[in-house]
Amino acid sequence: MSQSIRNSMIALGILGVLYAVFFLVPPAQGLGEKVRIAFFHIPVAWVSVLAFVLSAFWAFQYLKTRQLEYDQKSATAAGLGLVFCLLATVSGAVFAKITWGAYWNWDPRQTTIFILLLIYGASLALRSAIEDTEQKAKVSAIYSLLAFLTMPFLVFVIPRYYFSLHPAPVINGAGKIDMDITMLVVLIAAVVVSTAVFWQLLCYYVGRSNNHEPVKLNKTEVSL
Amino acid sequence: MTMKKRYSFGLCIVVSFFIFSIVTFKDSLAPYVSFAEAKAANGIVQVQGTPTNDSVSITSDKKLSFRLRDQTGEEELVVYTGAKPEGLEYATGIVAIGKYQNNQFQAEKLLVKCPSKYQRSVNQE
Repeated sequence: MSQSIRNSMIALGILGVLYAVFFLVPPAQGLGEKVRIAFFHIPVAWVSVLAFVLSAFWAFQYLKTRQLEYDQKSATAAGLGLVFCLLATVSGAVFAKITWGAYWNWDPRQTTIFILLLIYGASLALRSAIEDTEQKAKVSAIYSLLAFLTMPFLVFVIPRYYFSLHPAPVINGAGKIDMDITMLVVLIAAVVVSTAVFWQLLCYYVGRSNNHEPVKLNKTEVSL
Repeated sequence: MTMKKRYSFGLCIVVSFFIFSIVTFKDSLAPYVSFAEAKAANGIVQVQGTPTNDSVSITSDKKLSFRLRDQTGEEELVVYTGAKPEGLEYATGIVAIGKYQNNQFQAEKLLVKCPSKYQRSVNQE
């Protein structure tokens, strides 16, 4: 029941943000109407960072407690983080095409997100390569923590160190937010809604995999 | 104790490999070069810089030309045959892709960095 209420609230939130992005957000200086894609690109990028942080946090919890539920959460967060990271990459490439003039230019920003995709993509391969549940959980928890070490460099440090065609982040180096107030409110709403979507997906997948265990056991019992 | 030693040894290896990879990839991470490097290079390169104020003009043979100052401060003439990219006037950075030939940089493509200002457009309506 509460699940369906949450789902409909999120659906309403998505509709509200879509309306705001297309009808309330003013065209931006220089960017014009193209600015609207930023309200998708920035939130999904934020969610992927959040997902990788959570994945590392739950990986750490797993190593501390050895409870498989943390492994499940960590792996799901990493998988969802990869999906959102891919969305950020694709929307970024479209954004790049209409502003810079090329989909892909191996700009430092693009190179680092590509490396990040490879790192987290490899974690999926790693998990599928190990049969034993405990072993899989342990190895992927360690991998998740190591992957998390590289994330701040790839996302925050390297792109700021080099010249990049990518614009400076919304909260710039001087700690100031250089954004029109309407845009800022809509952006915050979009970030909240996309975080809620991520959280709902996370709960759904973690819950589903927890429910699957006993079902599988029953089936084997029946066949025996 | 031995467990702890094993972990710190593992961590040392990871950290040193991490530093090694940063040092190794440092130079290849950015595809952008200066004019000095562009002059020395044979093939197509990407020069990054800022356009100097009001130097954008259309030449008699319908080419777009402007002066570009690269990150070392060197300034050169850039000539581009295609249509003027949108937002060239607002650009805070330009990447010119092409070759240095006959004392000018002949660009095949121009990439434009727009200012990261999310402000209401003034000439709205």
